[in-house]
Amino acid sequence: MTPFSPIELWLMAFVTLAIFSFLYKDNPVYRLVESIFAGLSAGYYFGLVWDTVLMQQVVDPIKTDSSNLYLIIPALLGILLFSRLTQKWSYLSRVPLAFVIGSTSGIFITSRLQGLVLPQIRTTFMPQNVPGGSTDPWMIVVLSTIVVVGVIATLVYFYFSHEHKGVIGWTARLGIWFIMISFGAHFGYTVMGRVSLLIGRVQFLVEDWIGSFTG
Amino acid sequence: MNVWERLAAIDRRWIYLACGIAVLMPFIIPVSLPVYTTPEVQGVYDAVKNLPDSSVVMLTYDYYPSTLAETEPMSRAALHHLFSKDCKIVTISNIPLGGPTIAERVTRELAAQYGKEYGTDYVNLGYKANYVAVMKGLGSSIRSIFPADNSGTPLGQLPLMQEVDSYEDIDFIFIVADNATADYWVSIVNAQYGVPMCCGATAVMAPKMYAFMGSGQLKGLLGGMKGAAEYEQLIGHKDRAVRGMDAQSLIHLLIIGLVVLGNLGYFMGRREKGIGR
Repeated sequence: MTPFSPIELWLMAFVTLAIFSFLYKDNPVYRLVESIFAGLSAGYYFGLVWDTVLMQQVVDPIKTDSSNLYLIIPALLGILLFSRLTQKWSYLSRVPLAFVIGSTSGIFITSRLQGLVLPQIRTTFMPQNVPGGSTDPWMIVVLSTIVVVGVIATLVYFYFSHEHKGVIGWTARLGIWFIMISFGAHFGYTVMGRVSLLIGRVQFLVEDWIGSFTG
Repeated sequence: MNVWERLAAIDRRWIYLACGIAVLMPFIIPVSLPVYTTPEVQGVYDAVKNLPDSSVVMLTYDYYPSTLAETEPMSRAALHHLFSKDCKIVTISNIPLGGPTIAERVTRELAAQYGKEYGTDYVNLGYKANYVAVMKGLGSSIRSIFPADNSGTPLGQLPLMQEVDSYEDIDFIFIVADNATADYWVSIVNAQYGVPMCCGATAVMAPKMYAFMGSGQLKGLLGGMKGAAEYEQLIGHKDRAVRGMDAQSLIHLLIIGLVVLGNLGYFMGRREKGIGR
């Protein structure tokens, strides 16, 4: 049973069909719905940030407790970002940008190293889990070897300080094979993802919208 | 013009029509093809099943409405599984458009089915800008990042949030995402705070998330509509994802046929023009 009212269902169905009409050819109804979507999204986002950031994290805390006056400092830094809109005062935006770049670098360098690079390097050189849960040592050796060789060959492909000739050339060519297989897996999953979106809309039209006619 | 050239010049709208029919037909004549469980989805199921009853779980709604077909079934299945174990749920969204409102609608609907009460059994924190800062900040104090919930109620007035104020009070994180936030939940929150987690990701993201499965940073992974369908089946609530899998299978066959035909046409065309001899 759908949680939407009949008016909502009809509106959703109209918008879905209007967007799908582009598949036949561009038309005014499609452009109208596309413009409404862009306008609604921008308005909704502005309202959300206004409420959840400016009001909840700056205005309300200052109103309720004067010891929160220090919050004016980050708010002013945020306002300084808009100085980029004028040529004369644009240099002022470098101050908040310096904070953003500094804090982002600090957070990202540690998190990428600790949460991504080191665990992935460790896993590369650990015995791999065989699909299906097999504990056959030969399967584990073969799979683990493929992973190690694949990682090294792919890294060699992206090593550009030496001409890709001889051993480095052969390894780089092997790396291309691993990269291509990876692209194939990504492409397959991407097809599945995009098709799922179409299925979702058709499912809505058939089960929710048309289904509401029959109750 | 030979047959291969005619095929190469076919109006793409015929292909759109074929895809539309392939998706539509299984909803009119359902086939109910079997859905097999993969180890990644079994990992999600086991991780949630093994949580002690009444555990506090953070469920993320990090997705836009455009990917609802893949992600909403994951959220619904997760809620069924978690509410049936009497888990306390804190929902959060790092996506401004869609996430907070979808969380509100879906969580309230499922909570009503299990007789759960807002504020005591579940809370919707809503959205806050800058997800990296939010993820780091939640490690110190949830109340400092979210002074109020999605409806504007101060967290101090919600009984559940009087007991939960940082990752230390959260037993498990169930990520459902269609974008890079999943990556940061793992590389920041799992790596630095050690909170165990699993992930429901769109199919486009799934290949990248497999790396986190291999390293043990994720307990399980739901990849796209297929992953959602497997999870629905495991928890015994076959819903939209399971019903969508017939269409998924049929259209995949069509696309495989089109890819083979396209390549065949390309090589036959080259052969007839004498290229590559």
